[in-house]
Amino acid sequence: MKINTSIFTFFVLSSTLILRSTAISSNDRLGVAPEDEIYYKGLWSSGTIKCKDGSRTFTKSQLNDDFCDCFDGTDEPGTSACPTGKFFCRNAGHSALTLFSSRINDGICDCCDGSDEYDGKTRCKNTCWEAGKVARDKLMEQIALFQEGVAIRKHEIEQAKISAAKDEAELSNLKNEEKILKGIVQQLKEHKERIEKAVEKERIQKEKEVKQKKEAEESESKEHKSEEKVDAGEQEPVNNNDDEAAILDNPPSGQNLKENPAELPVDVVQNAHASLDNGEKGEDATKDIDSLSREDLGREIGSRWTGKKTDQQDHDINDVKNDYETSVNVHDEENNGYDTETDEDHQHYDDDEDTEAHMDDVGDAANDDSSSSYNYDPDDDMDMLDMETESSPSWFEKIQRTVRNILQNVNPFQTPVDVSEAENVKKEYDEAITKLSKLKSKISRLKKKLGNDFGPEKEFYSLYGQCFESKQNKYVYKVCPFKQATQEEGYSTTRLGKWEKFEESYNVMLFSNGDNCWNGPDRSLKARLRCGLKVELADVDEPSRCEYAAMLTTPALCLEGKLKELEDELDKQPQFHDEL
Amino acid sequence: MEVIAPDVDLFFLNFPFLFDQPKSQVRLINHKYTIIPSSKSVYSSVAFQSSYDHSTDRSTMKSIVVFHHFLFLLLFLSHLNSISSWKKEEFRNCNQTPFCERARSRKPQHCKLIATDVTIHDGDLTAKLITPDKFQDENSTNPLILSLSVYQNGILRMKIDEDPSHNPPKKRFQVPDVILPEFESNKLWLQRYTNDGDSFIVYLFDGYEAVVTSDPLEVFVREQSSGKRVLSFNSHGLFDFEQLRVKKEGDEWEERFRSHTDSRPFGPQSISFDVSFHGADFVYGIPEHATSLALKPTNGPGVEHSEPYRLFNLDVFEYLHESPFGLYGSIPFMLSHGKSHGTSGFFWLNAAEMQIDVLGSGWDAENSILLPSDEKRIDTLWMSEAGIVDAFFFIGPKPKDVMKQYASVTGTSAMPQLFSTGYHQCRWNYRDEEDVKNVDSKFDEYDIPYDVLWLDIEHTDGKRYFTWDKVLFPNPEGMQKDLASRGRRMVTIVDPHIKRDDNYHIHKEASKNGYYVKDASGKDFDGWCWPGSSSYIDMVNPEIRSWWGDKFAYTEYVGSTPSLYIWNDMNEPSVFNGPEVTMPRDALHYGNIEHRELHNAYGYYFHMATSEGILKREGGTDRPFVLSRAFFPGTQRYGTVWTGDNIAEWEHLRVSVPMILTLGLTGITFSGADVGGFFGNPDTELLVRWYQVAAYLPFFRGHAHHDTKRREPWLFGERNTELMSDAIRVRYTFLPYFYTLFREANVTGVPVARPLWMEFPHDEATFNNDEAFMVGNGLLVQGVYTKRAKDVTVYLPKDHTWYDLKSGTAYKGGKTQKMEVTDADIPVFQRSGTIIPRKDRFRRSTVQMENDPYTLVIAVDSSGAAEGELYIDDGKSYEFRQGAYIHRRFIFSNGKLTSVNLAPSSSHGTKFLSDCTIERIILLGYSAKPKSARIKPSNHAADIELGPLQIRSGIRSSALTIRKPNVGVSDDWTIQLL
Repeated sequence: MKINTSIFTFFVLSSTLILRSTAISSNDRLGVAPEDEIYYKGLWSSGTIKCKDGSRTFTKSQLNDDFCDCFDGTDEPGTSACPTGKFFCRNAGHSALTLFSSRINDGICDCCDGSDEYDGKTRCKNTCWEAGKVARDKLMEQIALFQEGVAIRKHEIEQAKISAAKDEAELSNLKNEEKILKGIVQQLKEHKERIEKAVEKERIQKEKEVKQKKEAEESESKEHKSEEKVDAGEQEPVNNNDDEAAILDNPPSGQNLKENPAELPVDVVQNAHASLDNGEKGEDATKDIDSLSREDLGREIGSRWTGKKTDQQDHDINDVKNDYETSVNVHDEENNGYDTETDEDHQHYDDDEDTEAHMDDVGDAANDDSSSSYNYDPDDDMDMLDMETESSPSWFEKIQRTVRNILQNVNPFQTPVDVSEAENVKKEYDEAITKLSKLKSKISRLKKKLGNDFGPEKEFYSLYGQCFESKQNKYVYKVCPFKQATQEEGYSTTRLGKWEKFEESYNVMLFSNGDNCWNGPDRSLKARLRCGLKVELADVDEPSRCEYAAMLTTPALCLEGKLKELEDELDKQPQFHDEL
Repeated sequence: MEVIAPDVDLFFLNFPFLFDQPKSQVRLINHKYTIIPSSKSVYSSVAFQSSYDHSTDRSTMKSIVVFHHFLFLLLFLSHLNSISSWKKEEFRNCNQTPFCERARSRKPQHCKLIATDVTIHDGDLTAKLITPDKFQDENSTNPLILSLSVYQNGILRMKIDEDPSHNPPKKRFQVPDVILPEFESNKLWLQRYTNDGDSFIVYLFDGYEAVVTSDPLEVFVREQSSGKRVLSFNSHGLFDFEQLRVKKEGDEWEERFRSHTDSRPFGPQSISFDVSFHGADFVYGIPEHATSLALKPTNGPGVEHSEPYRLFNLDVFEYLHESPFGLYGSIPFMLSHGKSHGTSGFFWLNAAEMQIDVLGSGWDAENSILLPSDEKRIDTLWMSEAGIVDAFFFIGPKPKDVMKQYASVTGTSAMPQLFSTGYHQCRWNYRDEEDVKNVDSKFDEYDIPYDVLWLDIEHTDGKRYFTWDKVLFPNPEGMQKDLASRGRRMVTIVDPHIKRDDNYHIHKEASKNGYYVKDASGKDFDGWCWPGSSSYIDMVNPEIRSWWGDKFAYTEYVGSTPSLYIWNDMNEPSVFNGPEVTMPRDALHYGNIEHRELHNAYGYYFHMATSEGILKREGGTDRPFVLSRAFFPGTQRYGTVWTGDNIAEWEHLRVSVPMILTLGLTGITFSGADVGGFFGNPDTELLVRWYQVAAYLPFFRGHAHHDTKRREPWLFGERNTELMSDAIRVRYTFLPYFYTLFREANVTGVPVARPLWMEFPHDEATFNNDEAFMVGNGLLVQGVYTKRAKDVTVYLPKDHTWYDLKSGTAYKGGKTQKMEVTDADIPVFQRSGTIIPRKDRFRRSTVQMENDPYTLVIAVDSSGAAEGELYIDDGKSYEFRQGAYIHRRFIFSNGKLTSVNLAPSSSHGTKFLSDCTIERIILLGYSAKPKSARIKPSNHAADIELGPLQIRSGIRSSALTIRKPNVGVSDDWTIQLL
């Protein structure tokens, strides 16, 4: 439909201008939103109305006359005269749009119906139907996604309930076993001590006899030795064995280190050491840069701006990096390499954790920006737990049976003591201690798991113990819900944050207190959650220095309410081209 | 204080501050501990803080020191990765700089030279400077040649060099390509001189004459009638010229600084002399220093030990405000202003390291110097490591005369592209194409105008300039075209250090062709910068500049498009492992020029080469935009500069104003400071205040270090987004005025942002005001430089009425007003008697504003009159040189506004046409109450009603407004109020 453009002859240079929109039946109502039509009606009846903000009044002839009378722009809905004005384009065939007045006749087609460019200088095609179709297709895709996602989510919630119940049951079972095992340990301990006393007595007796024959020096030294042995045996055996067990059977994870109060001071000392060292290095830099080689001096000065520790500089330039790292390592080893050592330690346990991940990843390695997931190692203990739990009745029975036998067969008051039986008791005791400590750590881990917030319907339950990876350029980003987020580059791992909590009503996962950033905050990562059929990590970015952002798709976010909204939106869309 | 080691000392001064910090902040504070303004001993000048307290109890101090060791320990334990701050010990002070130390220790009347053989030669007055027999000793030297030339409009040029007929071992370096080629045509060929006993006199200009006295040697400019001096040279006999000589056995010529050795193969060759500014209340100029506008004395009674003002282009990490140490650029041009004479200027064209002392009055009390004592005078001592004396005396006497005189020697500012006068958004770094897209779209989402998005070093493939990181920027053309579709440009960084990588085409060509600066042994100089091991293009050679310029061709710079412009950083040059983070002085340039001789001009040649390249790629039709950090006299012809790596602190906001004003005084008007401060995170209030001030300064760019938090204007909550976007929008509304002022600068050399005294040279209260400034002659801007300010004091110059830009309230000048301020804006006033053109509509960028109508704001003076100008051209090409522009003068008097054409009626060449109209005329201070206006020649009427000064909610309609006069901006017309 052709528009009567008489009022706009000032602007309109071309009389051939055709506006495709049928919505605007009059220039006077150019840019007016449907909900405002009532407001402008007053103008037709009385000829004068107040600006919406009440500041002034304007007349019919001042409406869209390309001069701003109302500060809020209400007299100029269709022109750029008022800085605060808003222009409505109906965009039939697509969604309506409200524009800033700055977009009107600025040479850029903002409305798909082209109604924002009417001065004849710019011709805009009406692209609404095409754009609308794309949007509608997208919307339908979304709806399909949500429909499937909602079903998966439901299933997951049920699974989560079962898993949680299973874990709870397991926990109480384990607690029960712990109780019994504690009893056994106690019995074995008493038994063992009695045997040891008897053995000791017997030995002392024998020794006395021997001593009389041998020289004093010899006997003295022997006595000393045995004393030592006894002492070692008597030192809180539970603790000792606990440590040993942890080392033998459970590769220590970062978590374990942090949990273990005995380890903590070491950690702190190490950190303190490292920072002290850094401090000294900084100090050296101010005073002793003269002693650096020319290259090191360049790096040192440059690092002031980049903030990179010099051994991290130019990580993107391989040739420089290689040369340089070699030299730095040499340097560090020659002097004192606290820095490097700390880093390496740090890397070691991360590597342990990630071995499986790397293996899983091999297939994807060629892919540049890939996303993948796996279960993480440190909570391998959880897997192990499951495995052992299945077989637990047998070992538990076995141990009970064995102990019974031992207790019956071995008579500590018998002299001389049956050496092999005594050995048996000791072995059984040690085994029981080991089992007990494992049991304890299982209980503690399970308790910790169950202490997490898995969402109002436990919909995030299945994410526990899993990690999700996204490879972006040279970095591999890894998000492990309820645990941590990291960034890996080659063999170096940077901790982007430890699990903190959900935010924005379970729409965001927050990982905070990651590795420290030079001159910046401690690293943190916010993973925004979106509905998706699989759990996948995408779009990891660092919008601000050391503050990372990522997107994680998960069925847990495929909410029924949201599906309803999308369906309603689709219902509002024009279904046929004829509607235009 | 000497018992305390410097670092500890700094802590002492700052610890009360530290003590109150929660742990998380200690790191930050510590990181910057040496730059906290109260650190008196941060640099050895206590001159600026004369009230130093010497009475501190020593034992107290010791205990504090102990406490400090403890603090140190604590700080190291708090995850401290690096101590970073300005490291004064890494830079030479005057005492560590032998030529400076020697010059400073000389006593007045040291110079024994006398002028003989005075004659006129080639239109110049020449003389031989010789040492009389009675002062000859075994170190006696050859005569020097002095020549004086006179140029149009009050310029005296004096050269002193060695006499070539005595075959000095090396020709001293004279800086090429700075003086405008056409300047020579302004030379007035002297025919004769007057001989008055011992004095030789030539006529200069407009009642001024130049005098050379023979014994003692002195050169000065004076008023002919009164005999009052304006400028004088060697009045205190401090002139010294170390002549080049052959090395004798036993001569120790090497100089060492820290781990660096300067081989100095040509030995001492420094020059020093005194210059007196007569009738001066203050001296200004000699950028770049982060100091006040009026230069404080650096030597003399009452001045504690201070360094001289140093001119040596340096990349200074986290520089201090209030420091005479050298920064990124150097312009050896000083101006004086005073009540009795007015303004004068002295410019020494010399590119070697320079140190300048401003001597406090009475500095020479011990020596009886026979100078007229009935006038105010400021004496200065100039010292340079090498080169010749090539000095220009500018007689003024009005401030703008000196601007014009200096500009006639070194050129006026290039006419900028219109887009570059808008807002620029920069950050180290916008990461990738997606980041660029997001930032760009956010500006539209919040309806904030901006014109240019910048990419710092990380966009390149491993800091190889002219390349792109293929992963982060796979489609640079597409990205630029997308920005350009909304009228926006992009700027990428190109630095002078070239990565020594045989697979890098620039390096391959440069090394093959021998285009690099050489080290003292003649090999390509190899220094360390962003890419690691790097060499530096020798830009002094015009052939190499031309080669470099060709690299900007679209075919050579793959991924560049016509909407891409350039940023030259690190061109001091910055060499991370060089002495004082720059190039060794014994490095060699084209023509066997030692780096020491041209150091301060290196960045200038690089800027020039880049600018010429950008000009070349479009066949000379598109005005270049190139931002440079280093600068030298003449830089204004090639582009824009900014004040380098400043800090997000209130004091840095404050000092940015005098720094930019000083650049304007010395020819470089298109300059700015990083909005928000480069290092550190500004608190939101500081950031908002920074935007509010910077919106009125010529170059307007937000920038930040990569360790800082993101700080684009929409990241600080709705209210602050509004405040920052308001500041940016105000800038855009004033762009027609700014552009007109840029044109004025382009024609006359008068800067866009001006110290108050330039506009009010008789109002003494303005002479050392550097908190407020003028934009053109019409707007007075007073920054707010303190946190949570409820009010600020503003001095409004006398004999004028000042209209508050927002309320229209009139203030009488000649008083210091205490103004209430809110967070919404800073005090800005329009001077009575001016007419300012604006465009009040909002757009995405300057491109979409092209056809928007104008608003004129008329502030009438006491006689009801006002005047203003408007200049318009296509905003990008050079067609204005052929007369393709609109230049109008608006004159308002007796209730009638007239638009008069100022553009010459070009019979040849192209015309620039505009359909733009004037949609609104606002009248301030007009006492009558007209109801309508009659417009001629169209003879239609326009309504007059009360309207707002700016269209914003909450502003009263208090100003007389002519509604829709709709007269064409390029037409002659009159509007009569009825």
